[in-house]
Amino acid sequence: MTVEQEQGLETLEINVNMGPQHPATHGVFRMVLTVDGERVVDLVPHIGYLHRGAEKLSENLDYRQAIGLQDRTEYLAAFNAELCYVMAVEKLAGLEVPERAQYIRVILAELNRITSHYMFMGAFATDIGVFGTAFTYGFREREYIQDLFEEVSGDRMMYAYFRPGGVAWDAPDNFKERVRWVCRQTRVGISDIDGLLTTNEVFVARTRGIGAISSQKAIDYGLSGPVLRACGLKVDLRREEPYSIYDRFDFDIPTGERGDSFDRYWVRLEEMRQSVRIVEQAVEQMPDSGPILPEKLPRRLRCPPGEVYMRAENPRGEYGIYLVSKGGDKPYRLKVRSPSYCNLMALKEMTVGHYVADAVVVLGSIDIVLGEVDR
Amino acid sequence: MEVEKAAATATPEAEAKAPAEVAVEAAPQVMPKRGVEIEAERLRPVQVEPGKALYRQVLPGVLQVPADLVIAAARKSSLWPMTFGLACCAIEMMATYMSHHDLDRFGIVPWASPRQADVMIVAGTVTKKMAPAVKLLYEQMPNPKWVISMGACATNGGPYTRYDRVLQGVDKIIPVDVYVPGCPPRPEALMDGLIALQNKIMEERKKIG
Amino acid sequence: MSPEEQQEAPIVPPPPGSVADLFAAVLPDVKFQAAQGALDVILTVDREDLRRVLRAAKDDPRLDFKYLRCLSGVDHMEAGVEVVYHLYSYTHKHNVTIKARLPQDDPRLPSATSIWRGADWHEREAAEMFGIFFEGHPNLVPLLLPEDMTDHHPLRKDSPLAEIEEWQAERAGLAAGEAGEAEE
Repeated sequence: MTVEQEQGLETLEINVNMGPQHPATHGVFRMVLTVDGERVVDLVPHIGYLHRGAEKLSENLDYRQAIGLQDRTEYLAAFNAELCYVMAVEKLAGLEVPERAQYIRVILAELNRITSHYMFMGAFATDIGVFGTAFTYGFREREYIQDLFEEVSGDRMMYAYFRPGGVAWDAPDNFKERVRWVCRQTRVGISDIDGLLTTNEVFVARTRGIGAISSQKAIDYGLSGPVLRACGLKVDLRREEPYSIYDRFDFDIPTGERGDSFDRYWVRLEEMRQSVRIVEQAVEQMPDSGPILPEKLPRRLRCPPGEVYMRAENPRGEYGIYLVSKGGDKPYRLKVRSPSYCNLMALKEMTVGHYVADAVVVLGSIDIVLGEVDR
Repeated sequence: MEVEKAAATATPEAEAKAPAEVAVEAAPQVMPKRGVEIEAERLRPVQVEPGKALYRQVLPGVLQVPADLVIAAARKSSLWPMTFGLACCAIEMMATYMSHHDLDRFGIVPWASPRQADVMIVAGTVTKKMAPAVKLLYEQMPNPKWVISMGACATNGGPYTRYDRVLQGVDKIIPVDVYVPGCPPRPEALMDGLIALQNKIMEERKKIG
Repeated sequence: MSPEEQQEAPIVPPPPGSVADLFAAVLPDVKFQAAQGALDVILTVDREDLRRVLRAAKDDPRLDFKYLRCLSGVDHMEAGVEVVYHLYSYTHKHNVTIKARLPQDDPRLPSATSIWRGADWHEREAAEMFGIFFEGHPNLVPLLLPEDMTDHHPLRKDSPLAEIEEWQAERAGLAAGEAGEAEE
């Protein structure tokens, strides 16, 4: 019973449209909140404002051309998306990846996880109200890592560097020193952001207890990634179904307790530290020279008929590529199971009962990328 | 007219086959099944009205030339873009605002509200679902206003050309002043585009309303 | 790629002791067609048994597939439309793929939203992209496409991209004669 209802006053529920253009919706996402006073009673998300048809277009591109579209689907963690797609093609075509290429791929994928989480820290803190400080910190650190990406692959964001079977060309000669330097710099950057946000009274007050979800409901909704780990489940696809060479590295899986927004932030912060550990171990173990593609790679890559559902642990959750091939050099059906799409289904569950300002916090803590929600 | 023809050729089989079951039975509201007419309405370009500057009507002719110069110099030095990041180009646009490639030194401050913005940087793919919102935002911006089309998707559809749910270039619905190519354009390229816009404002100072 | 060049995958039976045997034990009267895919075991069921199979997959403690990974549609032209469910169990750490094929002129299927809440948006997307009708879905309106522009289903094979396929076929004819695609 609200105060107004106790006093016998008649209240009206209003619809608030946080429309496609909004500074806090991380892209073109629209949600229509039904509010009673200040409390959210109902939430209807509307997506599809960035539906660009990556799946339909991939049916007309051959296996190497579709890598560029995968970059643009998940543009903040492009190496992870490319890795999942390229592994799916390798499983179907039966290709063996040489050692040096495996290590290069893992190093770049983990560094991309770190840049994606920096972006999350910046955007999340901006939603909370730390307008600009964490954002500038995050982007400053991202620039160091993006410089390394540019040296290796040639582009700051849309790399198209991985190929089925390995990587496109070899890493430069000073790759190992550069990666070690980036790791040292990243440790400093993580502790910067940690000091700014984790024990910040305002940050904690705005995120503790907001948007909590239980682990059974989380599994039922199909949540994955840091959102699921914040609920207390110690599951990570790199340990559950190890892919690539992740079984050679030693890393922990951070988990939260309550499943609220603060735990989701904390899990991502700790994941960044674990990613740095993985990168340091990979750099030690990496062979100094070696082939980066299998020797007998055909000119036009053809996959035998079959299907595969390859999954990888992206920064946002479980990224799945369902690839159906009927012979030939183009996929017959390429379905992208994106983690943000599945995580968004639980938005209503997490937000109802909180205030309007908390709706923004919950949306920010799920960390969506509209490119992969709409594909 | 071209939009209608383009939309019609994009879905030739829609005319031929009658869509059978689909969600009309389940959904409570009646949804029209033809997309072509609705698309033409959605994608009609905005009506552009040139503004009439008050100072031109008030000042005598001899004072208008230095007034043009001063006002154009003031406008170009303080362009406030509306944050209209749609897709991947938005990340590079944000990187351009941030400390590594700073845009604040040009007086460019990102501003969320269209009512107080000068420039709309369309960064990312515009889909046909989003097109009415783009038009509405453009109409909400007060004169004088400019549009920068950032990236390949906003210029002509980019890598998503030939998908019929993507608008093949934002200049089909709003007038664009500067096109910045790239996928995504480097921050230096976006800065180049903004400086080109500044030069354009100075060059066209007599025509700005 | 024209329909003549398309080939179907050979059916490789799964190894003994796999999830297919568990399903046969839990539901002995349902007809399964089991195959071993590249990573998972693939079970093909009839449309009528699908609801029972999915319900048993979630509720039975030996199977315990509480996590629906993905729900997709695949258009096989005259052979029908296929709906594919990928499931995973966190307790037993096994996964399975369940498929059901629907005839092209009657693509109706019971909805899985009452079993897994996470099937909601996947089904809405499959409905608008392929024209599949999920009976019992609470809100089957278009999700990604604009609500008022529903005149064709984009992911069906008979709605091609605007003229791209002639363009690609032409280019493939030119490129086949040239001395080599550069090996990447």
